[in-house]
Amino acid sequence: MHTDEAVHAIKFGALLEENKYRYDPHEYHGPTLNYFTLIPALSVSPRKLAEIDERTLRIVPVFFGMFLIVGLFLLKNGLSRSVMFFAGLFLAVSPAMVFYSRYYIQEMLLVSFSFGTIVSGYRYVKSRNPLWAVFAGIFLGLMHATKESCIIAFGAILLALFLTGTLQNRQKGKPFHFGFKINAWHILIFTTTACVISVLFYSSFFTHPRGILDSFIAYKYYLQRAGQNSWHMHPWFYYFKLLIGSKHSAHPFWNELLIVILSGIGLTVALRRKQHPQMDHSLLRFIAFYTVILALIYSIIPYKTPWSMLGFYHGMILLAALGATSLLAIKMKNILRSFVFLFLVLGVSNLLVQSYLSNFKYEADPSNPYVYAHTSRDIFRVVESIEEIATIHPDGKNMLIEVICPADDYWPLPWYLRSFPNTGWWNKVNFSQPAAQVIIASPSVESELLKKLYEWPPPGERSLYVPLFRFPTELRPQVEIRGYIAKDLMDLYVQSHSN
Amino acid sequence: MIFIASTIFATALAFTGPETSQPKSEKLVPIEIELPKPMFIGTPQNIGVERLEKPLGKPRPPFMAPVGTKNVALGKPVASTDEEPIIGEIAMITDGDKEGIDGSFVELGPFEQHITIDLGAKYEIYAIVMWHYHKQARVYFDVVVQVADDPDFITNVKVLFNNDHDNSLGLGVGNDLHYVETAEGKLIDAKGIQARYVRLYSNGNNSNDLNHWIETEVYGRPVKKDTQ
Repeated sequence: MHTDEAVHAIKFGALLEENKYRYDPHEYHGPTLNYFTLIPALSVSPRKLAEIDERTLRIVPVFFGMFLIVGLFLLKNGLSRSVMFFAGLFLAVSPAMVFYSRYYIQEMLLVSFSFGTIVSGYRYVKSRNPLWAVFAGIFLGLMHATKESCIIAFGAILLALFLTGTLQNRQKGKPFHFGFKINAWHILIFTTTACVISVLFYSSFFTHPRGILDSFIAYKYYLQRAGQNSWHMHPWFYYFKLLIGSKHSAHPFWNELLIVILSGIGLTVALRRKQHPQMDHSLLRFIAFYTVILALIYSIIPYKTPWSMLGFYHGMILLAALGATSLLAIKMKNILRSFVFLFLVLGVSNLLVQSYLSNFKYEADPSNPYVYAHTSRDIFRVVESIEEIATIHPDGKNMLIEVICPADDYWPLPWYLRSFPNTGWWNKVNFSQPAAQVIIASPSVESELLKKLYEWPPPGERSLYVPLFRFPTELRPQVEIRGYIAKDLMDLYVQSHSN
Repeated sequence: MIFIASTIFATALAFTGPETSQPKSEKLVPIEIELPKPMFIGTPQNIGVERLEKPLGKPRPPFMAPVGTKNVALGKPVASTDEEPIIGEIAMITDGDKEGIDGSFVELGPFEQHITIDLGAKYEIYAIVMWHYHKQARVYFDVVVQVADDPDFITNVKVLFNNDHDNSLGLGVGNDLHYVETAEGKLIDAKGIQARYVRLYSNGNNSNDLNHWIETEVYGRPVKKDTQ
């Protein structure tokens, strides 16, 4: 589990066990991820976080990742079958899409809700049925209740609508309008639904009204962070560098070049004058503008994490599907068509293989471009060691464990040690209480810890401690942790295993 | 008689047991230990670099060198592939200022760059310590350290460190590990090699494609005439 996933999982634990969720405007985004996780957790009894595993959590982003494919059918009047087929195929094999559909963070939910808003909005425009206005409102409200960066998608949708309307009407020589009549009642239904959904989630279903206000105050903190957090400052081309290819010797050459190239073709096709048979030209243009605007905004913002690109990358995939369809629709000799077909087959196969490798072989390897500050596999050795000690400890999993890491940098251990209720989490050595028999600590506190173990207790009560882990152990690359265990307990463990 | 007395004493002791040292009225109560809950944190820093050196977890111990060894690069002239740095001046690389703050580092252009220090004479070099940029935990790519007898690196060229794993600089595949920049600098064992010129390559870092230098120290002593 990535640190971010573990943080969300522990926050979900409070909702599951205490029915408590409080929106924090400083960090950790909106409540939809937590509340939607209650659905797969319904089958878990007793309602304890210790009974939940990664699958229960990650099924939520998986579901919304799949919605992006299934939802394509709702655009059957605007996109051709071929475009829908390629879009579904690319979404299913894209390493970025598959990787982050298995990540317990909000991003895939935001992308799905943005897509839901666009699809419902499009269906409303075409049918004038107020029910689609309600759906659009629900999705818009869910976007707001998912992540603060929804404001970027809102802006991109509005600007894309404006540009699409301008371009359509300029070519027809008409004055600007959005291309559809605005019904005031339907707008009211749409905005009211969106507000109700947002208020429901941010107020923790009317148990914490302050959350509604906090959902707006949050922008103050996020705007500050966008330009200040040097850890996540990256150049403007960062996302494209991830997609075009990354250099790592002795590892696969990771790239999503097929989608990048085809999306370029799709963009050109969408913006040209020529109409497409079986497709709604204004929808294609809207997708093109929406994607370009989102990509521009996310590239300009210095704060970047790889999953933030999913919003515009989803648009790129839709454009790539249009590009692939357009390529195959070009009148050409059979031999040339065979080359195009082969290019697509090889490209999709490459994505499929990379998708498998990035999810099942290099899922924590820094060479994988989507692995970002990920937890080291050493975490499993840490948990295994502690669980083995628990088997011989008189208190079992109720044994005391002391975790000491400056700046609270012990994540994702709270997730992995969730079945050890008597674990204390410290950011400095605490001299006011006796030392636990099992201690996990950052090397930087080792000298203070030695004082606590060997200077603080009175003579005759200074238990000898020995290392718990046999090898150097990292939480993440360059974040080492060390384990210490009272020698009495280690002797007990050794004896029990030698018998 | 002694046996009977000992048996009675031992039996009495067994019945009283360790409780004899504890007043009967004093009860033992469980002590409530306050256990703080975990505090949430944001997305941690990413160091997405393969073949990365494990952290030492403690300050690097001082290295041993023959008497008379000192930083012979201090104040010596430096040449660079980027003659007009984006930030700072090339001379700052040997000015003795190893601080990580703004105003202490030189920012060279993107991609492959190198600097060359002319020590002014041939020295017996025991160690090279270099600082690229340590305000942030960064990894610089394709770090190669060479020494030679001439400024064009034709005569007696030796490679002391090379972590260019895919030979992107064309100087040969290196097997040294990537490392994270720290205030301690990166210490390279030069094994007493004799040279006048020191050249240091880099090729961007894990945060951006630019190259930075704070300081380079070359620890050596003048070459004795009979060993030249």
